[in-house]
Amino acid sequence: MFDIYLPIAGMQFNALILVAIGFSVGVLGGFFGVGGAWVVTPALNAFGFPMAYAIGTDLAHIFGKSIVATAKHRKMGNVDMKLGLISIVGSVVGVEIGAQNVMWLSRLGLAGPIVRYTYMALLFGLGIYMLYDYATKDKRTKQATANPGAGVGVMPARKTFNLPPMIHFPASGITISFWTVTFVFLFTGWLSGFLGVGGGFFRMPALIYLIGCPTAIAVGTDLFSVLFSGAYGCFTYGVKGRVEIIAAILMLVGASIGAQIGVTAVKYIRGYGIRLLFAIMVILAGISVSLKQFNLSVASQWMVMCAALGMCVVIMYQMWQGVKKERAEKAGH
Amino acid sequence: MKKIWVIIFNCCLLGLPVLAWAGGGLDVPEELGNKVNLANLSGINLFFARYYNDNLWAYAAIVTVLMGVVGFAIALVTDVILKMVGMEVSKIEHHE
Repeated sequence: MFDIYLPIAGMQFNALILVAIGFSVGVLGGFFGVGGAWVVTPALNAFGFPMAYAIGTDLAHIFGKSIVATAKHRKMGNVDMKLGLISIVGSVVGVEIGAQNVMWLSRLGLAGPIVRYTYMALLFGLGIYMLYDYATKDKRTKQATANPGAGVGVMPARKTFNLPPMIHFPASGITISFWTVTFVFLFTGWLSGFLGVGGGFFRMPALIYLIGCPTAIAVGTDLFSVLFSGAYGCFTYGVKGRVEIIAAILMLVGASIGAQIGVTAVKYIRGYGIRLLFAIMVILAGISVSLKQFNLSVASQWMVMCAALGMCVVIMYQMWQGVKKERAEKAGH
Repeated sequence: MKKIWVIIFNCCLLGLPVLAWAGGGLDVPEELGNKVNLANLSGINLFFARYYNDNLWAYAAIVTVLMGVVGFAIALVTDVILKMVGMEVSKIEHHE
């Protein structure tokens, strides 16, 4: 009924499916500060989009969506512009090194398995660490209250590396060595290039655990970085003729509405709540990649789509609860 | 003396990525010869398809600018709508 012709991909496609995919990834993107390529690309592919067009179209819509989400996060004071701009330099160099490493592994015939196993280890490792961090936060808070001078806090201990120049980030409230920041983004950029992904899902935790940003600022600042990688991805895939512009615009409309919901939800859910949902999503993505590794591609695609939709419902429910509570409090006053 | 060592160390650190990059060499992007059949196309589909067939660099520039403009426009419009329905957001306190 809502079928439209997509001239560049040369196929008929249901416009509602495109808007719905955009919407669900918009909610996730606005809430977690990720581009969501790991959801959109398999989803488009599962519905019959050729893979190269799926990647290019996805990157194009991510660029537009990240503008919408970053603008709103900025209004909420969640974007550290200085940190975001510095992140671009390290990330770009890191991506290129990662891509060169993959080329080298390809020549040795080892790229496929090494990249996939690294991806799986990263997703499961990150997810389990964040779950552990969530599970032990109360214990750490109690210890901090009992021994205020012992240096035990809610945040996990970060290594301090004070090689000058030191940079102060007022928005995040941290002072940190330029080299720490550069190496963190070089590393996350390297992972992006090595794994062939946008990198939001490991840059966001890196901003929290390695740089020391508050969770909401990590989400907003990561989206600010995604904006630049999305713009570059959109252009480079456009030059290669692999962006289906009509599909990208339809997805952007859905994603923009979803992003408004996702960003607003950040206001109602505490930092550790965001981390818990993020950890669950990352582990589900890890299971999806594992299914693909065992040649269960269809199950893997449906797994990631169902996980994304399920998480959207949870986020929207939590936001609705928050709105109700806020209205009740206002009415009480 | 300490300052000199800091400067030298900083220079070495800055040089590392450049060395790693130089070790690989860049790949030439693959040439893609796909052409869209313009017959039966009209309006906006024809507009995009023509650029796609004639000049991929122009097509890429149009796509990138358009996505940015559409994203920006949607952000402005939704902002106005949300203000009207009383769901305006402002600076929040960061709770962990």
